Amino acid sequence: MPGVASDSGGGASDSGGGALVPFNPEAQVAVVYPLHHGLKPPVSRLSISWSRGNTLRVSVFCPEPSVDDSGDEPGGKVVEVRLGGGGGEISDAHWRRIAYGSVIPFALLQSKKNAALTLSKMSMNSSPYNVDWLEYVIEYSKDINLLLGNPKLPPSPAIDDPKSVLKKGEEPTSLKAAWELLEIFYADKLSQVWLPERLVDWLADYDCLLSVSHSTVHSKLLSFQGELVRLQIVEDYPKYWEVMSSALAVGWLEIVVKMLRLHGSYQLDQLSNRETENGLVEAVAVLISKMPRMRPELESGKLGECFKTKPDFMKAWEKWRAQLNKLELSAFWFQCSHQQTREGLRNMLQIMLGNANSLSTATFNWIELYISHLLYIRPFTMGLESLYSLAQKCIQLKPMAGAHSLMGLIIGILGENSEVVLAECSRGFGPWMVAHAIELLTAGSDHAEVLLHQECLNLGGISLEELHRLVYAQVLSSHALTWQIAPIYLTSCMKQGMGLLEILLSKQPVQHNHLLLKNIEICRLYDLDSISSSIMKISGVYHWKHGRKDSGVFWLQQARDEVQLNRIAQQLFDSVGKTISDESFKQWEGLIQLLGSESKTAGGLEFLHKYRDFKKSLQQVCDGKTTDAARQAVESLISLMKNPSTPQRFWLPLLHDSLKLLNWQERPLLNVSQTNLLLNKLQELSLARLRPDFIEADLPPEGLSSIRLALATNLGRAFLEE
Amino acid sequence: MEKPVATLERGTTCSSWNYCGERLAAGSDDGSVSVFDSREPSSSSLTSSSKFKVHETGIVKIVWIPPEYGDAIACICADGALSIWEEVVEDVGTQLLQWKKCKCFKSSSSKALDVQFGVMGRSLKMVTACSDGHVKVYELMDPLELKNWQLQAEFQNVIDSVSSFRKASCLSACVSWNPQKGENQESSFVVGFNSNTPQLNSSKVWEFDPAHQRWLPVAELASADDKGDQVYSVTWAPNIGRPFELIAVASQKGIAIWHLGITPDLDGRLSVEKVALLSGHGGEVWQMEWDMSGMTLATTGSDGMVRLWQSNLNGVWHEQAAFEPTP
Repeated sequence: MPGVASDSGGGASDSGGGALVPFNPEAQVAVVYPLHHGLKPPVSRLSISWSRGNTLRVSVFCPEPSVDDSGDEPGGKVVEVRLGGGGGEISDAHWRRIAYGSVIPFALLQSKKNAALTLSKMSMNSSPYNVDWLEYVIEYSKDINLLLGNPKLPPSPAIDDPKSVLKKGEEPTSLKAAWELLEIFYADKLSQVWLPERLVDWLADYDCLLSVSHSTVHSKLLSFQGELVRLQIVEDYPKYWEVMSSALAVGWLEIVVKMLRLHGSYQLDQLSNRETENGLVEAVAVLISKMPRMRPELESGKLGECFKTKPDFMKAWEKWRAQLNKLELSAFWFQCSHQQTREGLRNMLQIMLGNANSLSTATFNWIELYISHLLYIRPFTMGLESLYSLAQKCIQLKPMAGAHSLMGLIIGILGENSEVVLAECSRGFGPWMVAHAIELLTAGSDHAEVLLHQECLNLGGISLEELHRLVYAQVLSSHALTWQIAPIYLTSCMKQGMGLLEILLSKQPVQHNHLLLKNIEICRLYDLDSISSSIMKISGVYHWKHGRKDSGVFWLQQARDEVQLNRIAQQLFDSVGKTISDESFKQWEGLIQLLGSESKTAGGLEFLHKYRDFKKSLQQVCDGKTTDAARQAVESLISLMKNPSTPQRFWLPLLHDSLKLLNWQERPLLNVSQTNLLLNKLQELSLARLRPDFIEADLPPEGLSSIRLALATNLGRAFLEE
Repeated sequence: MEKPVATLERGTTCSSWNYCGERLAAGSDDGSVSVFDSREPSSSSLTSSSKFKVHETGIVKIVWIPPEYGDAIACICADGALSIWEEVVEDVGTQLLQWKKCKCFKSSSSKALDVQFGVMGRSLKMVTACSDGHVKVYELMDPLELKNWQLQAEFQNVIDSVSSFRKASCLSACVSWNPQKGENQESSFVVGFNSNTPQLNSSKVWEFDPAHQRWLPVAELASADDKGDQVYSVTWAPNIGRPFELIAVASQKGIAIWHLGITPDLDGRLSVEKVALLSGHGGEVWQMEWDMSGMTLATTGSDGMVRLWQSNLNGVWHEQAAFEPTP
């Protein structure tokens, strides 16, 4: 939702707004948003629940229907509201592309930052921020900037349409415009010498964004371009001159020169009659295209002459100004009979000479006026301080009704007020912007660095930087397609990131296998063993209860959950049936097989595994196999009875099952010590019977005595044998 | 903007989402429960996958049991009965999933008003708050079966354990567990009542004392002159690393945000500080929920609005946004 997008992005992200002016709780009135549910009013009750991330679900219940009500109205609705992130000028899918694309630059920068920090600690160097560091930041900034849209215009057509003055490129976004501003002022420190010219370029790219809500040079040009096709003698129209002056004021030289060449005096049939007039037009056009500019280079097709150093630039500037003055004082103006041309051209000269009134008339909002001042009145401006006072002056002269988010951002940057910059980034562009722009701010401003890295008790002991990363990670967590990248941001948070990551992971559904594996992989990556075993336990119980016993056991084993596994072993034993001939033997045999491979993880399972072996050999004995099988069965029996993990309550049933072995016809199968072991167990049982928690085995009435008898007989025979 | 997720049947009175927000259980005034699921994993719209009759009277509250113990819910009915249901395959052969009743708690003398579950180490605890002002703590005896519960403790919500109020009558109560599940953390919960007995009302934090195997009140979340105020709702915020706990308590005076210290003093008490008193819903607060980071509190109440509250950078709590249900 566009409105709430930044406001309730979470946390105190926007309360930087509160830091702007002394916070007054009475003054702040929360915005009320409608929540459409499509039910017939009235509503009797609401119920709320947070889903993943910033998603809030609201259940709306209707009151009990009256008797005469028609019966097809629903009794309630559940609606989902996603707060924060996305919205506005950028589609959800585009946001996700940006979110995914910015992960690598962000992670790369963090790892470089960590490496630099380690290095600076080692060399006892106080600041990790050096020239190399700024290079990393600018690289990061450029990578992100590329994601936000392609600045390149489409290739120009082979035959240039002389009447198309504005080129159509990709629709620019405010987000990109804002990012570029931050890059210009914070990241690209090396280009600060050419700051005014960078701002000229910036406005040329993004003036159209302001057109949405305000009149701009761009919007005037656009509307004039529409009329241009129908106009016969352009120089007769005052608007032609107005628009050209405006474009000149903000430094769009190519457009002005191209438009000047549309002047009627250039037409072959008129050239002879309007020679002086044409000469003046051409002289102005030439002067415009020769304007000195302090910048390293100019793109092809752009006009002006480049100067890289200030002395060269100043020299050229004085010379150019002298030429302008000379033309201004020239006698040719009296010979120019076309009034509009004469006045229009002289006005353009005034603009280039820095006449404040002409500049003010030619521009439509403060930022345009500001750029025109930088270009023609203060071409040698350096440093932010004078830039800010100039901006304030321009705002007074041409205030903008209804603040545009970009304008707020510029004012914050020029005023070197990091709080305002943060607040504007948050308000205008949301959590993604803040989380990523912080890297530029901290690199570019000491004040911002302190502000963002200082730990604050009001925030629960974390820094603003961490808070904004947490808020952004929460936005990412809201969507099934983006939650997987939230861990990257959470692990860059020193204090609370892991806490949130644990909650995020434990809120992921376990029933879809691929999701479960992804989850476990993330746990492994960040050493979250307890979360991972809890996830596996949830999955194990889920499968067990939903009839997939094998998957259930598998995941419980992975979770090393001995309590549950022991219980399962017990349940299995109970369900196995009391006698070896039971049909269910086949059902659970496979399961025990599965349990077997890792039987060490749980005592109960080890018992069950041995019990399986015992039952198997006993089965063979019953099927009429040889004495060898019987010996095998005895081995299993003894090993079972010796094993401390065999539950006491199973001793009697085991012995009862083995009666046939104890009474083996051919010869005694148990030796003296083995028989003694079993007798001791019987003795132990009779003592245990006195305890209150003893569970009586389910045996036929004469069961115990027949076991006793068999053991005694066997003992006697074994003595004889030995 | 908002997106419809599910349509509820007529007579639906309450609803509750499971741990991952993929299943919804909705209770109805005829005593039945519908469980909603999405047909495909990617789809966000839910349809009813099963419906079963829980009780003769209407259902007033549904709570999901922690997922470590299966897909199960606890239902509180209008007559105060509390029953526990779980989704299982009874017969492995048919693989037929069905909801099965595991346990029903019913008392002639008192009604269950709220129930909440907490995972404590390896065991599952259930706390119920009853209409006679009693708090009962049960423990699940067998992790695979939700039918064997043992009453572990029963006490009234008073700091001074000597006093006992026999004639207490409570309209509603609210329990909230400390959501942390750390291995070395003692489990604790907060409970508040809306009753005719002032001493019972104020929210108190109860912590398990393993040395003596008993529950002790370690903090009271009420200022001196608010102690008798009826409490509508309490909720304990997740803590992802704050050096203090955060608990919201709603009473007739508004929503109070409390900081609760982490280390106890010599008497075993935790320090408390009321950092905000927010007014917005006017009358009764129905429900409060913290988001996953514990930074935003969502509330709803008798003014029919949903309100979101946050603290700003200066630690001042304020209303961040509100939602007004509209057709």
